[in-house]
Amino acid sequence: MSVLEVDHLTVALPLPDGAAHAVRNVSFRLERGETLGIVGESGCGKSMTALALMRLLPDGAELHGRIALNGRNLRALDEDAMCHVRGNAIAMVFQEPMTSLNPVHSIGKQVIEPLMLHLGLDRDEAKMETLSLLERVGLVDPRRFYSAYPHQLSGGQRQRAMIAMALSCHPEVLIADEPTTALDVTVQGQILDLIYDVVSERQMSLILISHDLGVIAQTVDRVVVMYGGTVVEQGATPDVFATLAHPYTQGLFAAVPQLGAGRRRLRTIPGTVPELIDLPKGCTFAGRCSLARESCHQQVPDMRTVSQGHTAACLRLDAALATSTFGLRR
Amino acid sequence: MSAVQRTSMLLVALRHRNLVLGGTLSALVVLLAILSLLWTPHSAYELDIANKLKPPSSIHWLGTDHFGRDVMSMIMVGAQNSLIVGFVAVGIGLAVGVVLGLWASAQRGWVEELVMRLSDFTFAFPAILSAIMITAILGPGIVNSVLAIGIFNIPVFARVTRGSANAIWSREFILAARAAGKGRIRITLEHVLPNVLSVIIVQATIFFAIAILAEAALSYLGLGTQPPQPSWGRMLNEAQTFLYLSPHLALFPGLVIVISVLGFNMLGDGLRDLLDPRLSRARLSGYVR
Repeated sequence: MSVLEVDHLTVALPLPDGAAHAVRNVSFRLERGETLGIVGESGCGKSMTALALMRLLPDGAELHGRIALNGRNLRALDEDAMCHVRGNAIAMVFQEPMTSLNPVHSIGKQVIEPLMLHLGLDRDEAKMETLSLLERVGLVDPRRFYSAYPHQLSGGQRQRAMIAMALSCHPEVLIADEPTTALDVTVQGQILDLIYDVVSERQMSLILISHDLGVIAQTVDRVVVMYGGTVVEQGATPDVFATLAHPYTQGLFAAVPQLGAGRRRLRTIPGTVPELIDLPKGCTFAGRCSLARESCHQQVPDMRTVSQGHTAACLRLDAALATSTFGLRR
Repeated sequence: MSAVQRTSMLLVALRHRNLVLGGTLSALVVLLAILSLLWTPHSAYELDIANKLKPPSSIHWLGTDHFGRDVMSMIMVGAQNSLIVGFVAVGIGLAVGVVLGLWASAQRGWVEELVMRLSDFTFAFPAILSAIMITAILGPGIVNSVLAIGIFNIPVFARVTRGSANAIWSREFILAARAAGKGRIRITLEHVLPNVLSVIIVQATIFFAIAILAEAALSYLGLGTQPPQPSWGRMLNEAQTFLYLSPHLALFPGLVIVISVLGFNMLGDGLRDLLDPRLSRARLSGYVR
């Protein structure tokens, strides 16, 4: 059984001009010990999907679909039961380590709290556990970091502390929402390695959200590509990167700057992401797609099989596959 | 916090002129009140008609009033009165207002609407008018006037707390705390309250000064402290009749009211400068690495 099953997840956010359909009909499975990447540009619904899994959506947001953790429907839980799931079964690491820690509490106090809250450890046990956690995430000399305040730490150190907090209660699923985006490039690799190591060491499942294809390619087993609130392509990372099936994935890949490619203009995908309030009737990407036909503007594409376990939502999949020149296959 | 950091914080505090001056003036008033519990130059209650309306002298430092009571002693005992009013009135405002503000901010929705509209309703009446109304209904006296001032303070603290708490609730570390499985009450106590405390402290100091002023005004109108208990406001009232004959009777109580209100206001301003997180971050350097 999958650790996490998400079926037809839909999130609508109330706005003054109408509902913004931030996530539409998103389905995926997360197996035990598996790492899953969600990739897409800003505003494609990656973070909203993550918040929906934690049931931490903004007030007034509408949530539909099924989210099951080990077969248990999370949507049926009340707030108290959900508090027990958060941090305990599913933990989250956020994008901005600068603002995700409370400035008035020491690092130690913030890491020790979930231990006492969820695991019911007494203060001495919890402190020992906290010190070993801080050491594990690479904050050497943990006693010094235990009593330090967030403003005394660098961005990388804070993200390590956030990871320690997230790991503290041995969650089964770790959701990392752009964990390295706010960090220096030199630190990014270290943090990704740390996340990857602790996840495999503890046989946790990981959902890594990123807009960075490089990060996704290095870290995860399976990848979900999102565009305009929907999943456009998903499959095992090597398969997806070998055969970029969906025109959007192809465009995303082409837009990655290549080292040593000489001075040339970066390729971009023409147009902009459609407004989530005013979505097109058919394929969300049709307006920016060079392969789009009339039918693309009318009909919502269903998921079609590219190869075993690799699917893409495109009506013109054959044509798209024929033009797939940017993959590793080229 | 290490000894070195503590010393440097003290030095930083001393650099704030408002804080030092305000703190000194406030401390002076507090000391005066404490001293009056143990010692006053003369009795503040004893009448001495033979020596009435005397100007300041070596025996009566600030002169005597129309009953021959020692003005210095009355001011000292009156300080107790003003401070108690300040503490109790701000205490009522803090105890009820902060809880309401935090509750409104944590619950949102109709709770927030209800608390805020009630605050607006209370705010619609000028403070001193509503205090007069309450004392007129419940009867004059120190307890009722403290109550009246305190009730006016509740919406002030509810608003300030709710406003700052809302700003904290939208911060990312609150989302992180929720993602760690903390409930609303825990988050309010552990994350929101400590972050809004500095704003509340500053507000409390300033409203302490306002409460002193309000008590003086009520007593001046005869609705506050009742005779023979000395009060700065009533001393001013009684001095009116003799303004041409003995101006010192109005001068000295007026002066202590000005000094204490100014002192607590400056203390509040100074604390705001000191506790402003944007300033303190740069100041509290000493990075771990």
